[in-house]
Amino acid sequence: MPRIDAGPPHYKEMLPPIILENYGKWRYHVIPRPGVLKHVAENGAELYSVRAGSPRLVSIDFIRDMCALADEYCDGFLRFTSRNNIEFLVSDAGKVEPLISALEAKGIPVGGTGNSLSNIVHTQGWVHCHTPATDASGIVKAVMDDLHEYFTDMKLPAKLKVAMACCLNMCGAAHCSDIAMVGVHRTPPRVNDEKVQKGTEIPSLVASCPTGAIRPNPKTKSVVVNEEKCMYCGNCYTMSPGMEIADPKNDGVAILIGGKTSNARTAPSFSRMVIPFLPNNPPRWPEVTEAVRHIVEVYASNARQGERLGEWVERIGWEKFFILTGIEFTDKHIDDYIFSRETFRTSAAFKF
Amino acid sequence: MEKGPASPEIKEKVLAYLATVEKAKSKEIAAAIGEKKADVDLAVKELAFEDKVEYLYITTTFVALKGKVGAPQ
Amino acid sequence: MSEKKTPQLDELEKGQWPSFVTEIRKAAAKNPAAEDLLGLLERSYEEKKGHWKHGGIVGVKGYGGGVIGRYTDLPEEYPNLAEFHTIRLNQPSGWFYTTKSLRTICDIWEKYGSGLTNLHGSTGDIILLGTTTENIQPAFDEFSDAGFDLGGSGSDLRTPSCCVGPARCEHACYDTLDACHNITNEFQDELHRPMWPYKFKIKFSGCANDCTASIARSDCSIIGTWRDTLRIDQDAVKAYVQEGLDIQGAVCDKCPTRALKFDYKKNELNVIAEECTRCMHCINVMPKAIRPGQEKGATILLGGKSTIVQSAFMAWVIVPFMKMEDDYEELKDLLRRIWEWWDENGKTRERIGETIYRLGMGKFLREVGLPPVPQMVFRPRANPYVFWQQDEINK
Repeated sequence: MPRIDAGPPHYKEMLPPIILENYGKWRYHVIPRPGVLKHVAENGAELYSVRAGSPRLVSIDFIRDMCALADEYCDGFLRFTSRNNIEFLVSDAGKVEPLISALEAKGIPVGGTGNSLSNIVHTQGWVHCHTPATDASGIVKAVMDDLHEYFTDMKLPAKLKVAMACCLNMCGAAHCSDIAMVGVHRTPPRVNDEKVQKGTEIPSLVASCPTGAIRPNPKTKSVVVNEEKCMYCGNCYTMSPGMEIADPKNDGVAILIGGKTSNARTAPSFSRMVIPFLPNNPPRWPEVTEAVRHIVEVYASNARQGERLGEWVERIGWEKFFILTGIEFTDKHIDDYIFSRETFRTSAAFKF
Repeated sequence: MEKGPASPEIKEKVLAYLATVEKAKSKEIAAAIGEKKADVDLAVKELAFEDKVEYLYITTTFVALKGKVGAPQ
Repeated sequence: MSEKKTPQLDELEKGQWPSFVTEIRKAAAKNPAAEDLLGLLERSYEEKKGHWKHGGIVGVKGYGGGVIGRYTDLPEEYPNLAEFHTIRLNQPSGWFYTTKSLRTICDIWEKYGSGLTNLHGSTGDIILLGTTTENIQPAFDEFSDAGFDLGGSGSDLRTPSCCVGPARCEHACYDTLDACHNITNEFQDELHRPMWPYKFKIKFSGCANDCTASIARSDCSIIGTWRDTLRIDQDAVKAYVQEGLDIQGAVCDKCPTRALKFDYKKNELNVIAEECTRCMHCINVMPKAIRPGQEKGATILLGGKSTIVQSAFMAWVIVPFMKMEDDYEELKDLLRRIWEWWDENGKTRERIGETIYRLGMGKFLREVGLPPVPQMVFRPRANPYVFWQQDEINK
């Protein structure tokens, strides 16, 4: 008989002896080289965490490979980070470099610490989601290939957290990332009356529209969409498969920047849209990778040491950001949804 | 916090109500049969173990008599 | 095994970053569903659209969540994806594993599933991608015997997650791993038997660096903090000076409240305790010299969520300081009161933050029994439209 509601395995069964001995007694940490954290305990014990990149979508073969490395170099103990990196927990300093060599021999990059680009958190996309406007894994792979040097080195002004969400649901922390890539639709849903009639509750569907663009149509026992009011969020499609919103000719990717969740120095902040639309251009989305690299490079060469991307932009002013990057500012950048007014400049002080 | 066994009467009322609808949220069941939602939640939990009702995720989670709602077309 | 051409996906096996396509291909060598997935994904790349239908009705006996039904809309062409469901397993606190436990997961998943996983999902679970309706129950039975349990899905408590905490971080102001484990076990009914208007996420971060992004990604964000004064080791400060750290520029000038004073002559760093807002910046730069205070606990924030549909909300303060002790009874009691209120007042598919936004913080605070304090707002309201209560007006 299976156990019911037994809960997750106890984390203490998963901790290496050095952590059990020094639990809550860590004194400080340093980063001796990119991809390695050295934590020192009050009693002088030293733990090395070797951080490695992962595609997140991994096979059991990959997991077994990582287990073999963990057995060889760190007594079979490893963990994963909130950004889907793998961390090997090495208590023998002499095994750090050999482990890094072994990882590199397998094509697994070591990095993501300190002032670097960490792994991109992302959603399922075309691989396994039912509402995507674009793929997620493919764009992430293309961008991480292109920005690889920023993962393995620590040459950015501060840490850079990038997220990819394949639709407006924005799963993951895309809305509070230094750079967010978000799948977007640009055309209203096409109502499939037959599908709507079958198993959709019309009142719930009507209520799901944030702009009131959907009205019941008693004649067809379905709904009609006021296309002028639609902002293509796709919430109706989540409610009913009869509201087909995917549009291969018009779906694409928007870029938002400058968000953060840490409280350090400045309050956590939302990412802000800087590029409203780039085309879906698989398999490597060159327009997206180029735009992201450009923003990263302008940031890296202009920000002060220690400034997160959003802190830099807020210091110089968004008007300066558009000048420095050459990104065109359009009516699309000005919010016209429900919390728009707080983004309008109610001051005569600004830069030219 | 031990919740104890569900009331057999409430379980019967839940089943009787679910026979009249395709699916419902437990809040709606509670309102319809005039019982506290927490008691309905507990009744639904036991009925699920007894394979008499099931939870369905259709844009939000509903409860239905087991097998009443099929897989998507 | 048939060799289908996947020219677009092949492009994604090039480059330095490890490739998810290579991973699917490894699984495809052993599993026909994973092989069909390559074909279906290539098709999506050609057509620029997804090929998955809305979720379905699958599950494990006694559970109302933890398994997500997934069916392709092209079952004739990709028969092995006619059913390709996800199982969510509740991760251990902090995502720590022994290789033995990971291998156990792999062995069971090899037997019952596609061999593909996400380590981890956005909420924190171990995501097992792709199995059939028939295999769900036997897979669960084996995972259960091996000590794993399902995570959350649907309108329930989603699997709580936490940062690395005191296991490997000097900043942790409370035991995030223990809190996460304790709360997860306390609320198994809420996790496994959906009963609410919509989902509810809890994330535990040990300090204001918020490595789980709890303030953005969880309905209830529990961020470690302290109530007394940060501790400064002057010898270590001097060592940083020796190393060449620009303490005035890199630390004092960046302190948001200018609460740190550096004395060049004595090479001493001092804090104006009442000015400090505990943002973590100075501690991040000088971990050897500056530590959190000793009276530790957590700030509780509520209402965080992503964009859909009333815009993204960042969680806001509802309890400035709570001790994280005594089996977390104070937190548990608060969560129960919040859920009861939300259950009573929330509309279907409305997150707690949206319910509070629609009905007002005043009503929420009064009915949940939380005292209003200035820490809850950046600044007070700028309009005179107060909802006075009946007992506050002259009759």
